[in-house]
Amino acid sequence: MKFIRSLLPVLVVWVLAGCATAPISPPSPVETAALAVLASDAGLREKARAGQELGDFGGPASVPALAALLGKEHLADYARSGLEGIKDPSAGAALRAALPTLEGRYLAGAVNSLGVRRDVAAVPALQKLALDSKAGAAEAAIASLGMIATPAAAKTLQEILTNGPLALRVPTAHAALVAAEHLARNGNTAGARAVLNAVVRALPPGHLATAANDKVAALSGASGAPARR
Amino acid sequence: MKFTRRQFLKTTAVVLGVPTFIPASALGRDGTVAPSNRIVVGGIGLGPRGREVLKAFLGQPEVQFVMIADVQETRREVVRVMANRHYGNQDCVKTRDMYEVLARPDIDAVVIATGDRWHALLSILAAKAGKDIYCEKPCSMTVRESQELADAINRYGRVFQAGTQRRNVDNFRFAAQLALSGRLGKIHTVHAGILPLEESFKWLPEQPEPARDVVDWDRWLGPAPWRPYNKDYVNGRWRGYFDFHGGAALPEWGAHTVDLCQWAANADDTTPVAYEADGQTIYGRYANGTKLVMRLSGFKGEGNWVAPGTCPVRFEGDEGWIEAADTGKVAVSSPKLLEGGAPATMPGTDPTKHVRDFLNCVKSRAKPAGNADITRRGHIISHAASIGWRLGRKVEFDPVTETFVNDADANRMCSRARRSPWHA
Repeated sequence: MKFIRSLLPVLVVWVLAGCATAPISPPSPVETAALAVLASDAGLREKARAGQELGDFGGPASVPALAALLGKEHLADYARSGLEGIKDPSAGAALRAALPTLEGRYLAGAVNSLGVRRDVAAVPALQKLALDSKAGAAEAAIASLGMIATPAAAKTLQEILTNGPLALRVPTAHAALVAAEHLARNGNTAGARAVLNAVVRALPPGHLATAANDKVAALSGASGAPARR
Repeated sequence: MKFTRRQFLKTTAVVLGVPTFIPASALGRDGTVAPSNRIVVGGIGLGPRGREVLKAFLGQPEVQFVMIADVQETRREVVRVMANRHYGNQDCVKTRDMYEVLARPDIDAVVIATGDRWHALLSILAAKAGKDIYCEKPCSMTVRESQELADAINRYGRVFQAGTQRRNVDNFRFAAQLALSGRLGKIHTVHAGILPLEESFKWLPEQPEPARDVVDWDRWLGPAPWRPYNKDYVNGRWRGYFDFHGGAALPEWGAHTVDLCQWAANADDTTPVAYEADGQTIYGRYANGTKLVMRLSGFKGEGNWVAPGTCPVRFEGDEGWIEAADTGKVAVSSPKLLEGGAPATMPGTDPTKHVRDFLNCVKSRAKPAGNADITRRGHIISHAASIGWRLGRKVEFDPVTETFVNDADANRMCSRARRSPWHA
């Protein structure tokens, strides 16, 4: 059963690759060589380096091979390095598909990579993980929601700040500050203000609430805040 | 109502029913600094260079160094003994876990001098914890980390000082200010000394991992990719490896010398718009035409520099030039440029004035010389230039978006995945 679950992301990526309408350029010689290393019985160091090279030079053809490593000890983070670098949407799809198959630091790693990629399609899965105290990736999911910062992601952060467990309020406040910056940059000042006000309401006075207050003031056109005591 | 530490001491004494005798030293009346004015400092990862910086901190009267975190037992013990000997007590606490330093509410500021792989992430975590930060250079492994670091410092309103102490060393300051004064004429070229560019992807042979209390290898690696343990890494020989030393080693000295060139070119708010490597020399060009030349200046005297010492810089205008390097001296195109007096001589490695600048800013909340915004751009330049060198071709860079122009390959090299579970 575990074996079948580990194959799930690879199968999903194959299906998605088959559905892709855009023409896929053939792999470069560097990519071909790196993929050959991953498919071989080469040692850890060689496979690790291949994962990094695919982050620099890999394309959609590399995604299945990298996705298959997301739960592998010592190689999972190299695979993430590859998948974070590949801009093709299939890399995000592979990370999303892997989520149900991963645990512990491997799950947290994939969640973080989705945040770094600002993978909008991952928001529903991240919302679930953020509210799942047993999966062990709630804080990573919250941070990624802050990085992705769609209105839906920001709303989840507000919800956790208002009604979520006390232990998650500080990490959620950090994520909310990041989300507010993205929202404001995209012109959604109302959304930014709402998430910042949720931080102020949820936390006692301190540097986090002050940071949120300063950002609210900045959104209102006040000058930039100086460094604070 | 706010309680000061002094009021707390008096009130506690009354509540406990003890005489309200408070020694003059506690109130700062014997030349010592009163507790309310002290800056409580913790350290993370203080090896040989970190201990040099620590000496400068211990020499400042308002500093109270209270805690050291290091993944190596020998190093944390050396620092604990050093602090306790300085204060004549046994108060300095040591720990393997850097998160314990960040969690202490009484600590105002942290000194971070781990290897480069931890610098940005720890600085960001410290900012999130509400600490001010003095962080050794290079402060980032990638373009993206340089951005994340500065964004976090600004987000939380923290005081940040990169360990780019040459901004506060007399001869370097003199050289930059001479360039800015116009006495060299219009500045057309600035030169930054760098170490040989290198990227090794090798792994040293695997050795048995020590007990975690002796060396915590997992923590030593932190956000860097996993590889098997070898004692050489933890003994300081981690430089030159791609996973531990960002920017092909260019930021090692570029953090200082490129940063000084930025200052002298009056370009602290921008970056060059193009980079092109020719062997071990990288040529940058600013939008206004000023050239930035990053060229070798190793310990063997490469590069035909005039000013003696490591980390040299040279600023050229159409009416003269000046060079400065680590011996504390300057060389100039004409003695007339020194008519107002040559700068005092201090070694370029001396962090004392830089630490003083940081502490002044911790109190005033002003920005120090090596603040996060200046560090962001200086480091981005080093990383961007090294990416051009890696690709072996000219790359163009947009200083506003801080991305390469129409260059997907170069943009992919701007970030690296952090090893789980460490994330900002």
